Amino acid sequence: MVAFFIVWEGISRAHLIPAGKMPAFSTVVATLTICASDWEFIYRVFQSFFNLSLGIFLALFIAMPLALCAGLRNKFDVTFTPIIMIVGALPDLAILPVLVIWLGSGNVAAIVMASVCAFFPVYFTVREGTKDIPHDYFNVANVFRSGKIDTFRKIVFPAVFPFLVSGLRISYDFVWEVILAIEIIARVTGIGTFIDSSAHQGAIEYALAGIMAVGAIALSVDRVAFGLLEGRIRRWKE
Amino acid sequence: MMKQMEVANVTKTYPHSGEHLVALKDITFNVHQGEFICIIGPSGCGKSTLLKIIAGLDKPSSGEVRFEGALLTGPHPKMSMVFQSFALFPWRTILQNVEYGLEIRGVPKQQRRNIAQEFIELVGLKGYENLYPKQLSGGMKQRVGFARALATDPEIILMDEAFSAIDEFTAETLREEVAEIHGETEKTFLLVTHNLPEAIELADRIVVLSARPGRVKSVVEVGLRRPRDKTDSEFIHIHKSLFHLLKEELENSVIRHKIKELKEFQKLHDIESK
Repeated sequence: MVAFFIVWEGISRAHLIPAGKMPAFSTVVATLTICASDWEFIYRVFQSFFNLSLGIFLALFIAMPLALCAGLRNKFDVTFTPIIMIVGALPDLAILPVLVIWLGSGNVAAIVMASVCAFFPVYFTVREGTKDIPHDYFNVANVFRSGKIDTFRKIVFPAVFPFLVSGLRISYDFVWEVILAIEIIARVTGIGTFIDSSAHQGAIEYALAGIMAVGAIALSVDRVAFGLLEGRIRRWKE
Repeated sequence: MMKQMEVANVTKTYPHSGEHLVALKDITFNVHQGEFICIIGPSGCGKSTLLKIIAGLDKPSSGEVRFEGALLTGPHPKMSMVFQSFALFPWRTILQNVEYGLEIRGVPKQQRRNIAQEFIELVGLKGYENLYPKQLSGGMKQRVGFARALATDPEIILMDEAFSAIDEFTAETLREEVAEIHGETEKTFLLVTHNLPEAIELADRIVVLSARPGRVKSVVEVGLRRPRDKTDSEFIHIHKSLFHLLKEELENSVIRHKIKELKEFQKLHDIESK
């Protein structure tokens, strides 16, 4: 990583690429510090992050109960999952133009699009995790006469949790890409439009600063939040 | 001795491609309080299904199980179970695993902690309370399984091949300890196994099931004094007679299978020649 930045700085300093197309690393960092104190910029980053998070949460609330049903009830699984598979096979962004017509070109469209994209990884990992629960766990619960709610809280949920985390992680990484694409294609205000219009106006250092901001946020949430969760899981998981 | 449990005419059938597959047929036997019963039989004879029915986890197609005179309609609070797969919850520590049954029953935290601690000590796992199951060997995991089963103070402990997934040396030690616990308490033990020496070592009576459909082929009393010596001539004698019973069953089932195959072959042949 550090080596990459040094090489970048070196190439720009040596004027191998015109500064108008590839400003030096130090210039981009300087631009980033200017941006970081600009409320408009912070608002845009926040807006993208908010749309992304809300989209994932919506997907979670819809996918989780469906996936649990599919994992626990075979009949539901054989009727419902094939439909999900067909819908999931569609390239997600293909529905975007239609969504924009239905929902307008605003945050709602972005959030809905994000949640559509986040749905599939969560659904399939949680379904897999539920099917994976050894039947003897339920026998233990039943021998001790555990009620349905207790069985869910104390067995199904903790057993599925690692799968849920990995599903969310896949969704999270994927939805970042999608959310930027939506912003650029459908002109939904956010960091994506900031990068796009900066680049169009020839302010490459601003576009690169935007990319670095997105990268830093995406990476730190991925490492910190998911890293912590996975660390906890690794303590007990075989 | 008091009759604690009655298994009366238990039959279990499964629908299978239009026919009824009979897994258990007319199983009848009694269990007295404090007894150690082993159920043995060739694989696929439905002995695990029988244990599930006794545990209230499965329902018989006909017949009934009575516990202390009352018809069993589901899992009973005075029974608990030990599994071949250990079935420990990997996300819980050893202490939390042993506490599980008490937790479900709403025993207050401090109290269940104390009880769990007591049983962890009983099975020799003091100091391991805060480890996770993945950090334990198979034998130790099953000790946790026993501690969990004992913690709710059951009157009957059901064991489904409880020693089969552990290496033999460890299993032997664990069997001795279980025999000791049985000797010191009034508790009834019911073990499903396919391991003959294990059954003879532990059981007061051995219920021998026939090959599918499982019926009670014979009930063998083991009158040997405890602790039992595998090299004892009476031990060997019982082993031999049980082995003969089971071998007969295996041969029967193999012959039956062969006859069925031959019949099907004959049918195919008839169809082809038409």
